[in-house]
Amino acid sequence: MQALPTVPSATVRITLGLFVLALAACVLAYVALATPGKWFPGAEAKRWSADTMTLSRGRGELQGGQWIVAPGDPSGTVILAVATSLRSSDYPVVTWTASHIPDNAQVRLMWRNDYAPGRLNMSPVTVVAGHPLPVLLAQDGNWSGTITGLALAIQSPAPQPMTVSTVAAQPMGAAELLRERVGEWLGFERWSQASINTVTGGAEVQALPFIVLLVASVIVAALLWLVVSYRRRVLVMLPAVLGILFVTAWLVSDARWGWNLARQVRDTIGQFGGLGDEARHLAADDGALFAFIRDVRAKLPDRPVRIFIAADDPYFRGRGAYHLYPNNVYFYPFENTLPAPGWMHPGDYVVVYRRRGIQFDPSNGHLRWDNQEPVRAELLLAESGGALFKVL
Amino acid sequence: MDALRIIASLVVPWVLGIAVLLVVLPRPRDGVSAGEPVWLLGAGYTVGAFLLTCWMRALSLAHVRFGALVVAAPIVAAAAVLLWVRHRRYGADGLGHFGRMVRTLRTPSPDRLLRIVWWLLIAWMAVRFVLLGIEITLRPLYPWDAWIQWATKARVWYALGYMAPFGRADAWLSANGALYFDASPEYPPTMPLLQVWTCLMLGRWDDSLMNWPWWMLLLSLVLAIYGALQRLGVGAWSSLVAAMLAATLPLADVHVALAGYADMPMAVYYTIAVLALLRWNMTRTTSDALAAILLAIACTQIKNPGIVWALTLVPGLIVILLPQKGVRVVAALFGLAVLGLAVLAQTEPVIFNYRLHLDFNPAWAALGETLFLLDNWHLLWYAVIAVAIVAWRQLLSPALVPVTMIGAAGVLFLFVVFGFTNARIWVSDQTTINRAVLHFAPVALVFAVLAFDAFARRWWSRHAPPPASPEIVSEPQAAA
Repeated sequence: MQALPTVPSATVRITLGLFVLALAACVLAYVALATPGKWFPGAEAKRWSADTMTLSRGRGELQGGQWIVAPGDPSGTVILAVATSLRSSDYPVVTWTASHIPDNAQVRLMWRNDYAPGRLNMSPVTVVAGHPLPVLLAQDGNWSGTITGLALAIQSPAPQPMTVSTVAAQPMGAAELLRERVGEWLGFERWSQASINTVTGGAEVQALPFIVLLVASVIVAALLWLVVSYRRRVLVMLPAVLGILFVTAWLVSDARWGWNLARQVRDTIGQFGGLGDEARHLAADDGALFAFIRDVRAKLPDRPVRIFIAADDPYFRGRGAYHLYPNNVYFYPFENTLPAPGWMHPGDYVVVYRRRGIQFDPSNGHLRWDNQEPVRAELLLAESGGALFKVL
Repeated sequence: MDALRIIASLVVPWVLGIAVLLVVLPRPRDGVSAGEPVWLLGAGYTVGAFLLTCWMRALSLAHVRFGALVVAAPIVAAAAVLLWVRHRRYGADGLGHFGRMVRTLRTPSPDRLLRIVWWLLIAWMAVRFVLLGIEITLRPLYPWDAWIQWATKARVWYALGYMAPFGRADAWLSANGALYFDASPEYPPTMPLLQVWTCLMLGRWDDSLMNWPWWMLLLSLVLAIYGALQRLGVGAWSSLVAAMLAATLPLADVHVALAGYADMPMAVYYTIAVLALLRWNMTRTTSDALAAILLAIACTQIKNPGIVWALTLVPGLIVILLPQKGVRVVAALFGLAVLGLAVLAQTEPVIFNYRLHLDFNPAWAALGETLFLLDNWHLLWYAVIAVAIVAWRQLLSPALVPVTMIGAAGVLFLFVVFGFTNARIWVSDQTTINRAVLHFAPVALVFAVLAFDAFARRWWSRHAPPPASPEIVSEPQAAA
């Protein structure tokens, strides 16, 4: 097979230089296109935390610095409001920090100004992955004068709880815009149960995905190289240049991912480092459940026995079952049900953990669930929202 | 002590796999081929690990209780016999491969900057593997399916010492304790058996350390890609870059750090099976044929979709075996498949009360987001598309056509699953789509590297200055 030419190191250096140049050009172009107002505004961003907001419609409570809200009436509407005093011309962007908003919810930003205090103005808010995107108001004719109040209105057909933590009015100059983007790209993506399915690459919502910026930079750099090389009639290194650009962009992207992984490893070491097997499980997210199951296991015979486990939350159901193996565990992974009492035999065990609808009458030893016929059982353990019964 | 036991649990199947491939590998005539030892290291672990689980299944069938010695001793003995046979047959040449491995890793460039870059890329991968190793060592079994349908079996089999049967809910309720139950009782046993094996070597149940085979599988993939691509004529630099790309695919890394799912092993076995087939196309050695066959069978025993992934090798095999008509045969088969899909999408046929209608309704936006905007794959899919465009003239060349056909079959499979079935829901919510794509991603990477290499060669042959040009130095190791 014919050998490929070795790439001169000068070509590598030039290509890397072009990539840096193209990256800068792409960032500059983005800033030019995306900055809504002045590049260098005099005003500072203003933020209002959850405790300054008022829930004027819907139900909810303030917990840990954020509102957890849900619709409280058939209209499905939630409104959170905050009193403000800001010059509209200085703040063309308003950003609500919220999560778990259903995709089919109708979300609006509402405001009042001092020109027409009786008039309620609105602008739609786009929701991506449960989060509201920043609302650009520079072109909205009603965004004028002094803004005296802001509100977020969510009309959701689903009763699920949503969280709202802050609202910010932003001048969104070039520096702030870049700071926001860099913050999104470098946002720490901790392990969650979603991690096994998706790596978002920083913040869950990104106005400019980092990958897109890198791809644009590769294309621009390649075009720059082509222009220069075509004039000099030296195109032989085109594949090498494309390869170097691609690998460079990949490494930049991977540096971000590697940095995120290193931060996660640091957290993991902090959480589990130096611990023995049992201590690690107790320090894990399901430590309380593990502790309960450990106590359950202490009450069980040494040989594997049949155990039925029930919990309202599918996580506790499945995870509790996992901790109970190698006993012969039955759990229904997809529905919150227990089998009919007729399937249970004397000598079987029933473990319940944070499960509603379980009734035990110690006077006659009747264990009943979901209004079915009772079985005779003995209570062996009751603690931490869980219990262990032996079927008699 | 645990570290030694873990190392032993990885080395035992590794040596077996290398011995199996080595014993049928012909004596090297012109020295060691580029990448050959590294390929053996990569493919060796996957072959050995699969054979080890087959041995454990045999022990269970024979009602022999699992134990570290019971499992390991015959494996070690078999590996020793195979290596001895190899040594007897070829003498020092037979095993001398590995003494030269370090040399194949040396930088191929005389330029100082490029030498630094070469070692930086290797260091980059090494750091990644260290980080992943720390996660595996410390974090108790974490992701959902791992503890609801995979490690459940490992836990029971380790405790009982044999492969107790698992059944569905209704069967479990009637079995009165004779069956075990989890969320997917019908899933293949290979990965749980590897967890059992690791725990046997550890001497205790440990749901963190038992996941080291996942780490080892990613390392195998990296080694196999590097070695196989070199043997397929790709230069050392491109092979190293391909290995680095595989090691740093974010979703593959996640599946090692949060080990316990079978998707990353599926990807590894499928990719190395494809590489073995591509190598066989070039070498026609028993060793490569054996690796391809064993690993294709292994695909079916890793995860149920592995049956279809193994079948996607068939178009590649057809164009290898029928160099004249193969492309037309495969094109006709693809055409029939597409026609069949179109007919099922446009009609409402019912056979034996089964409704066969397919709804064509792909979730394009979500698919685009997962492939091109999120960081699951870095820039992989941009590269695959760009390379397929620039190298389109070479895609059906004799060297590339097998991987082109395998790639096309893989794309067709994913397209059918996510375009025509209710699995599209998993595209919209960004769940199973990425794990299914993970099975195929390393093969797509191999395709992109091979196609880009073909494009580069064609470009070079057309634009190269006269041979006397002083600034061009040929790359000797590419042809070694």
